[in-house]
Amino acid sequence: MAETGRIPVPLRLCRGCRRFVNLDGREDCVFCGADLAAAEAEHEANLAEMRRAADALREALAGLR
Amino acid sequence: MDARRAEALPVRYAGLDDIVKRVPVSVVWEITLACDLACSHCGSRAGRRRRDELSTAEALDLVGQIAELGARDVGLIGGEAYLRKDWLEIVAAIRAAGMRCDLQTGGRNLSEARVAAAAAAGLCGVGISIDGIGATHDKVRGVPGSYELALAALRRVRAHGLSSAVNSQINAYTLPQLREMMDVIIDAGATNWQLAITTAMGNAADHPEMLLQPWQMLEVMPLLAELAVEGRERGLFLQPASNVGYFGPHESTIRNVLDPEIFFHGCNAGDTVMGIEADGTIKGCPGLGADYAGGNVRERRLKDIWENSAPIAFNRRRTVEDLWGFCRTCYYAETCMAGCTWTSHALMGRAGNNPMCHHRALEMDARGLRERLVKVRDAPGRSFDNGEFEIVVEPVPPAASTRVPDRIAVNG
Ligand code: SF4
Ligand SMILES: [Zn+2]
Repeated sequence: MAETGRIPVPLRLCRGCRRFVNLDGREDCVFCGADLAAAEAEHEANLAEMRRAADALREALAGLR
Repeated sequence: MDARRAEALPVRYAGLDDIVKRVPVSVVWEITLACDLACSHCGSRAGRRRRDELSTAEALDLVGQIAELGARDVGLIGGEAYLRKDWLEIVAAIRAAGMRCDLQTGGRNLSEARVAAAAAAGLCGVGISIDGIGATHDKVRGVPGSYELALAALRRVRAHGLSSAVNSQINAYTLPQLREMMDVIIDAGATNWQLAITTAMGNAADHPEMLLQPWQMLEVMPLLAELAVEGRERGLFLQPASNVGYFGPHESTIRNVLDPEIFFHGCNAGDTVMGIEADGTIKGCPGLGADYAGGNVRERRLKDIWENSAPIAFNRRRTVEDLWGFCRTCYYAETCMAGCTWTSHALMGRAGNNPMCHHRALEMDARGLRERLVKVRDAPGRSFDNGEFEIVVEPVPPAASTRVPDRIAVNG
């Protein structure tokens, strides 16, 4: 098979400090010490909350029309 | 990738499939070295045509060969591409072969007639260089009045319905003006702003006073992140070139295309990017010098050069063992591979150690240190040549420290 290009080495975004970290099996962020999974879960929860708030606002505005 | 995101991405975005197949998605083609500006940072030292530029027939044949490799986007540069008499024939041929075609220009003589003719030939978009406000731009570009001419060209491009972008250099002259430049660029109606750090190549190697010092990445990156967020809200997308980075807390903000998890994954030269010089020399990236010339289309088919030439393959064959200096033991070494090959080669005389890096500056700063570049060898004065710089590691002067007390340094 012909030579491929250089395949990107994946990294993971730490939701605690917004730095990328290596997928080296560590569970905490090498930069800020955050628990990576917990920070991700918190981020997801915040996102869901923001979406809920936006939906509620949209509905309220629709009711005003 | 979901279909909506795929649709929103620019055609020059290279996906995993492109990397695996080594499709030169984005081809940057210097069609002439003739130029009507005299830029103090010009890597190719443009001005006069090269002695042996491709003929019209050769250029049109090359368009077909580029298309055969699966390229999607051809950017015409110079010199000034519009100074080549047959440039519109080349544009039309690129479009007829199914590829996008953009012009990157200083815009000094991009007259109404030229823009109209280019639009009729099928040109898709124009990127105009704006390097500072007023007198700063005129000084960088070497021609009084060129700032106003560039802005007028930008407005003309918009009036003809072509996509309009601005390209800017980040250097000692423009850094203090970037915010004001963004306002001007948004007012002029551009939708994309490509920013590159001035690289010490060609004329820029003769002007070390205009180059940024490595520690200035501590100022550049937070500023770019701010501008990226504000620009997006105001309809302007910042596109950092691959010599802007790397990692640090702003990587996701400055680089994401609809996806915060996009990050710099190393130089693309020779994998999904191709550079062509006006005499038919093929390189992995338009900025690289003679050491990276893979061959000439007058002697070999483009496909043969692209697939088999060793100087094109440096990037995909690079390993962490090829890195040196700070980059060799960097936390991100395997992903980053010392960032932009062009930048590190131009500064250090060879690739693999890149001092122009935010992560590196942060790590240095955390230890109370910073790196300063000192020129130790002049460039000989040829197109795409470089001098050489030495890195001096020194304590951060007390007033300049940006240290965050409890940061963890991860580099050895
Ligand atoms: S120090 Fe070198 S390898 Fe590490 S992120 Fe910066 S450029 Fe990349
Ligand atoms: Zn973190």
